[in-house]
Amino acid sequence: MRDAQHGSSVAFEQLFRRHWPRAYRAALLVVGDAAAAEDIAQESFLAAVRALDRFDRRRPFGPWLHRIVVNRAIDWSRARSLRRELAADHAPEPRAPEHDAPELAHGLAAGLAELAPEHRAVIVLRYLLDYTPGEIAALLDVPRGTVNSRLRRGLDRLETSLREELS
Amino acid sequence: MTERTVRRLLDATPADPDAEARAWAIVQAAYAAREPVPRRTHMRAVLVLAAVAGAIAAAAFSPPGRAVVHAVRESIGIAGAQPALFRLPSPGRVLVSGPGGAWVVAADGSKRRLGDYRDAAWSPHALYVLASSATTVAALEPNGTVHWTLERPDIRFARWGGSRTDSRVSYLSRGRLHIVGGDGVGDVALGKAAPVAPVWQPGARHVLAYVTVGGRVTVIDGDDHRVRFSAVPRSEPRALAWSPDGRMLVLAARTRIVVYNVETSHSQAFPVAGVSAVAFAPDGTLTLLRRRTVLELRNGVLGTLFTAPDSLAGLAWSPDGRWLLTALPAADQWIFLQRGSGRRVLAVSHLRAQFGGLPVLDGWVPGA
Repeated sequence: MRDAQHGSSVAFEQLFRRHWPRAYRAALLVVGDAAAAEDIAQESFLAAVRALDRFDRRRPFGPWLHRIVVNRAIDWSRARSLRRELAADHAPEPRAPEHDAPELAHGLAAGLAELAPEHRAVIVLRYLLDYTPGEIAALLDVPRGTVNSRLRRGLDRLETSLREELS
Repeated sequence: MTERTVRRLLDATPADPDAEARAWAIVQAAYAAREPVPRRTHMRAVLVLAAVAGAIAAAAFSPPGRAVVHAVRESIGIAGAQPALFRLPSPGRVLVSGPGGAWVVAADGSKRRLGDYRDAAWSPHALYVLASSATTVAALEPNGTVHWTLERPDIRFARWGGSRTDSRVSYLSRGRLHIVGGDGVGDVALGKAAPVAPVWQPGARHVLAYVTVGGRVTVIDGDDHRVRFSAVPRSEPRALAWSPDGRMLVLAARTRIVVYNVETSHSQAFPVAGVSAVAFAPDGTLTLLRRRTVLELRNGVLGTLFTAPDSLAGLAWSPDGRWLLTALPAADQWIFLQRGSGRRVLAVSHLRAQFGGLPVLDGWVPGA
């Protein structure tokens, strides 16, 4: 981070390469739309560039970036749900992960689609980005109990969805 | 379900390498532009694309940005502006339309009212004008002689494309895209379209780009109506434009500009929010209108061409590419921006009185 702040393009590229895949995946799993996920992840990195000089090096970069990504993804999903009545035919479905048993991937996508964006975000932060419930509460600015209940409800929904897919 | 299963499934979510490459190109450019921003010494800061959002704000609110604003206020103030349009600064004819009807303005400043039309566009070689009211599309000569008319409900965005000998006209009626022959015969209704003016690809081929109601830029053959290209949907599309060579198609959406190569299906998005109009200069330079600012995109680099004291409306390049015309509705003025070494700013006032209402700029074409 220090080298990136001091103008090392090599260091900055390392930072980008290290964090892009997870930032993009997180956005994709929350919004379910590849183009939107690309936009969200890209804009989050641009925000990082603009704030690079002010960034406190004692703090880790990942949580700072993930907070931006996930909150933007939630905002995008909310806006899309508001527009859905106008363009229901074009509302993208969450994309199923690849390289796994297809029925599991479809079940996961279906389960995620049935969750509210805030619930999807909690699932993604916990199980893709490996944050603790306490850290998630801080990132999303919600009580820890809310995080736990969203996690429980989300897992239940995913389990039901996977069972339906497998049966 | 175990947490391990969820982790495994989430980790298997594909990360598109093309998306990473596109994003890296833009983020890298923003990073490269981060340090060398000598805003205090250059009024016309050259900004790299990806940093444009911050740079635009800086241009407007930083000391040099304010200097630009003050300079503009001085140069287009009441004392500096012409009280009427005496002549155009460059040869050609300007087509405008609005509450006072459609007008053709000649280089010597003379104006001819074509009729009570609220929208107008030039034919591909500026031989005719396609004008429309709420219920009529009309093909006219620039002297006002009507060649044909077509009556349809709720008409918007009538546009003309093709060659001198074989052309097509498109328009929206009740939100549905229509294509008809250049002689007004053979009207065909196609799908629903977003309220964005469709654009014909320059050249003799009848290729039309429009935006679907779902925000998807779509390019179709104007004869068999087959879809040649369909892009990812974008929210709140606002304007479309082809490059002069017909190779690039540009969409202005709410939060970004997207440049498409319809032959290769490649696209590149730039985070330039709030663009309301796009226009290509004759040399292919892309010009964007973003509220009070005119931006110029050249070789992948975005620069501020002009900042006005209030919101601007419309863009029209002179045929020789030396002047750019835009409107400053709050001051009831047109502003002519000179390109190149001179960089003069000329203003003309009292447009509403001259045209019966503030007109929209529909194009500046060669000819007397």
